[in-house]
Amino acid sequence: MTAAIETRNLTKRYGRSRGITDVDLVVETGQIFGFLGPNGAGKSTLIRLLLDLIRPTSGGASVLGLDVRRDRLAIDRRTSYVPGELSLYSDMTGRQLLTYLGNLQGHVDGAYRESLIERLELDPTKRIKSLSRGNKQKVGLVAAFMIRPELLILDEATAGLDPFIQLEFEHLCEEARDEGRTVFISSHQLPEVEHLCDRVGIIREGRLLAVETIAGLKERALRRIEIDFIGTVDADAFANLPGVSDLVVRDGTLRCTVMGSVDALIKAAARFEVRNIRSVDTSLEEIFMAYYGSGEAADKSAAGEASHAAA
Amino acid sequence: MLLRNVFTKTVRDLRWPTFWVSLGCGVMTAYFAILFPTYSKLFDLNAILEKMGPAVKLLGASLGDASTLIGFLHIELFSMILPAAMVAFAAGMASGFTAGEESRGTIDVLLSYPVSRARVVLEKWLAIVLACIVVVLVLWAFALTGAAISASALPPDRLASALVMLVLLGLAFADIALAISAFSGNRGAAIGVTVALMVAMYLIDALSSIVDGLATIRPLSLFRYYMGGDPLRNGLSLGDAAVLAAVAAVFLAIAVVAFERRDLAA
Repeated sequence: MTAAIETRNLTKRYGRSRGITDVDLVVETGQIFGFLGPNGAGKSTLIRLLLDLIRPTSGGASVLGLDVRRDRLAIDRRTSYVPGELSLYSDMTGRQLLTYLGNLQGHVDGAYRESLIERLELDPTKRIKSLSRGNKQKVGLVAAFMIRPELLILDEATAGLDPFIQLEFEHLCEEARDEGRTVFISSHQLPEVEHLCDRVGIIREGRLLAVETIAGLKERALRRIEIDFIGTVDADAFANLPGVSDLVVRDGTLRCTVMGSVDALIKAAARFEVRNIRSVDTSLEEIFMAYYGSGEAADKSAAGEASHAAA
Repeated sequence: MLLRNVFTKTVRDLRWPTFWVSLGCGVMTAYFAILFPTYSKLFDLNAILEKMGPAVKLLGASLGDASTLIGFLHIELFSMILPAAMVAFAAGMASGFTAGEESRGTIDVLLSYPVSRARVVLEKWLAIVLACIVVVLVLWAFALTGAAISASALPPDRLASALVMLVLLGLAFADIALAISAFSGNRGAAIGVTVALMVAMYLIDALSSIVDGLATIRPLSLFRYYMGGDPLRNGLSLGDAAVLAAVAAVFLAIAVVAFERRDLAA
């Protein structure tokens, strides 16, 4: 079976720091793939290379087994794309735009398009320029889903959607996957996609760091936990717990960092009277640290710890 | 209906500019055609031109015979106002074809559909061709109507010849603007360079008969081919028309290739 996306040493350099370097990414068909990285990491650069909007400095890529440079139109017929900074022809109404894009595509299931409009609660009679960011995004999503593409490429596509529509969007992605289609969705926020994606790729500073399942990622994820106790606690009771590090107990409050399961920590804490537990979710940056504790990452971790203590 | 493809969509985008430019040029031409008998009764226009001497060349009026409507239109409109309007319209619109979509960011969405870059350029170009033809057809009808009202002689075929040259001049500059914007992605640069080029070429052509030295570079000016053969009096010069068409074709090809090869703006 051919992969939905495959890049080989894909490199794009602009100037000094931006761009991507030697990215080898394989996204299998029939999954929802999250492409994660902080802003400026190179997510959009990779996506725009896949779309042939920009050309690689070196390396190559194929989509649905077709070369992104040579087989452009064949790929375009079978894929759709929603950019993060979605710009649409602002003097058209939503319906006019969907008609135009449908005509460019050549084949659109009208009934399915109408059901999408309904599910995402889009008012197609309004002009694009009068729509809010979230509503514009809905037009883009209807346009992308209405052709039932074999591969959907969504670049930060859910920004600005309200929670209910976000949920409906997730259902649409899951339906697409269940039909054997592939969804490639980029984000800089793990929580936004973690329950949706089967696998994620992590990119930082233009390099693909890892491709992991969400479960695998979470096992490695760091979590900062604070527990307030009533009465005094013995720090020794928490010594040598699996996955627990940076342990500090002061003034009846325990602070630590946990990698993976918090089970052992909770069981140890249960021996004392607990007033409150606070858990700070891991940011992508912290996952990167857990993954690849480079010198730079360790510095950042220390800085974070310092500000934490000050607070 | 206008949402079928890039060509029809561009026609839709151009519909109001085309309407207003057509109306403006048409009304202006009809105005001069209607008032021509009055003017020629009040003034001996040829004598006035004579008195102005070489300065009149700046207005490009060297070839005009103001005692006929067709000569009058040549002096008043075809030498400067109409070509300037046509070039501004055609080049102004064409400069935004790809650069406008790039700066607004719509090009990313457009090209994610099965439409090649070359096709985007060519279909948009076809729309500006149609728009220019509409402008001169309206102009032609208004001019003949004006001439009929004032009972002045205005040979429709001679007028048509001049309008063909007007379209070709407009398209040549439109394609220069299109090529610059396709190459650079910068609409402002495309408009600026094209207008500067137009002014320079106009001056070279207008002054070539009174300033020594300009005559040698006059063939570089597109205005030389536009009215050089005096199509209002002599009919269409196929050679001159071919030069303008060739310039238009070359710059269209450059636009297609430049746009095809470039990284598009994010």
